[in-house]
Amino acid sequence: MAAIELDGVTKRFGDVTAVSNLDLTVPEGEVFGFLGPNGAGKSTTINMLLDFVRPTAGEVRVLGLDAGRDSVAVRRRTGVLPEGYDVYERLTGRKHIEFAMRSKEVDDDASAVLERVGIADAADRKAGGYSKGMRQRLVLGMALVGEPDLLILDEPSSGLDPGGAREMREIVRSEADRGTTVFFSSHVLGQVEAVCDRVGIMRGGNLVAEDSIEGLRGAVDEGETLTVTVDAASEDDLTAVRALDGVSSAATDGGTVTVSCDADAKTGVIGALEEAGVTVKDFQTEETSLEDLFLAYTEGEEGEVSA
Amino acid sequence: MTWTAVARKDFQDAIRSRWVAGLSVLFILLVSAAAYLVRPAPGETISSNAVLNSLVVRDALVTTLVPLLALVVAYKAVVGERESGSLKLLLSLPHSRADVVFGKVAGRAAAIAAPISAGFLLPAVVLLVAPPVNFDVVSYVGYTLLTAILAVAFVGIAVGFSAAASSSRRAVAGAIGIYFLFVPLWGAVRFPLQLYLGMGGGPSWLPLTGQQVLRMLRLLNPTGSFKIVSNAFLQGSLYTGGQVSMQVSATLMLVLWILVPPLLGLLWFREADL
Repeated sequence: MAAIELDGVTKRFGDVTAVSNLDLTVPEGEVFGFLGPNGAGKSTTINMLLDFVRPTAGEVRVLGLDAGRDSVAVRRRTGVLPEGYDVYERLTGRKHIEFAMRSKEVDDDASAVLERVGIADAADRKAGGYSKGMRQRLVLGMALVGEPDLLILDEPSSGLDPGGAREMREIVRSEADRGTTVFFSSHVLGQVEAVCDRVGIMRGGNLVAEDSIEGLRGAVDEGETLTVTVDAASEDDLTAVRALDGVSSAATDGGTVTVSCDADAKTGVIGALEEAGVTVKDFQTEETSLEDLFLAYTEGEEGEVSA
Repeated sequence: MTWTAVARKDFQDAIRSRWVAGLSVLFILLVSAAAYLVRPAPGETISSNAVLNSLVVRDALVTTLVPLLALVVAYKAVVGERESGSLKLLLSLPHSRADVVFGKVAGRAAAIAAPISAGFLLPAVVLLVAPPVNFDVVSYVGYTLLTAILAVAFVGIAVGFSAAASSSRRAVAGAIGIYFLFVPLWGAVRFPLQLYLGMGGGPSWLPLTGQQVLRMLRLLNPTGSFKIVSNAFLQGSLYTGGQVSMQVSATLMLVLWILVPPLLGLLWFREADL
């Protein structure tokens, strides 16, 4: 069964379209990374899963239930780290966890939860004095109460130092090992690469890519970047290179030639350059990083929707 | 049904605010001042009811200050969390929006009842040990309870506005508007209106006499309903004297004020995008 199912979902705020005709399915047990620049529609999508906002059109189902009509039942089985939240300044960390336990009608050990998210020593201090990272840990702790079937984390690592972000990833992984479906949004790529089974990339309210990390790499034109050091090369020398199968682009500044190509096209590129009379001194290849991949999907002229 | 969890959290949160502590002190001082002002002359005794019926307690504290302070304590209940973002935390947990609204009514009701109880009951300790005062426990505690109920009616109004409003500025405008209508404005027009309607004036298209219109207006106003019930209670004639139907109506009106405004607020809140 699908843990999350969006079918033709559109959300407009006035005349701004935040999410446009979105279809997305996340199977049970998967760790899904929801990527995109700020304002791409990630949080609006998450807010629709939680019934914070209602879709203008389309159907949203979470854990097999209607996200609007059965929202309480959905949230009973879902742990949430929302975006743009605030804690209760006058209540201690422990009171927050106890409130989550009473709300979910479960008996849990508040101290153990606080221990797990690494703020046990601040348990009895008022949350108003917590740093951003501690608040983030506290709310993650509230989300973990009651062993949820689904975790929805909106930008979970924001405000965390690198150590905190790693602990966050470890918690995500151990929850996933327990069988929990994890849906989390991020604009930090390292987070996603490390823990996700699959990712989706949002841009301007549309899902522009949806695949595994490996699959996405393959889908991007620039499989590898080949940098060739030569004695001298001109635009004319590149004509034969560009004509090769598997080459998507080639450029030169005279001393080096930079070619984006599939891995198996490299030999052909070197051969074509030598045939054109260029002396190849050295060359190196670089795998396209996820960063490049992400930028390839999200940067461009297309206007972004802010919501 | 998790409104009790919301209520408990809200009470724990509100009770820690400076407002509630400040109000407790204010109420204790006012009731103590009233007790001092009506103190018996040497050799005489008075009833504790004299304290409750004094100008300071009945007119200044209970029917003027309590409604205002209840509104102040409650108007941010929902919209304040909406503006800060803690509402997202609250609604990430399995609460319906109705749980939120009615949990808030209950939580803030308790948060205003606490300073009212402290304000009346702590000075009562002094009255109890002061020999010339004939302390009537039942009427004193009952009146404290009725005052708390009046406060809760205004909490209901404020939470209703708080749920419906998209900003705390709007919520406070609604709450203050209601207060102005029911307390100073009503206080100003009441006697002229009574005179006018009593002399046979009033809209001829209504199938009601001037007296009936006046009664309806008194009932509609929560402070008016409160006075009908509390006066009868202090006279020992609640639900027994000749005015039973008026007293029952007044009691029902107070209950309606506690429930209906939050329900109306919920109608808007349910449809709102956060």
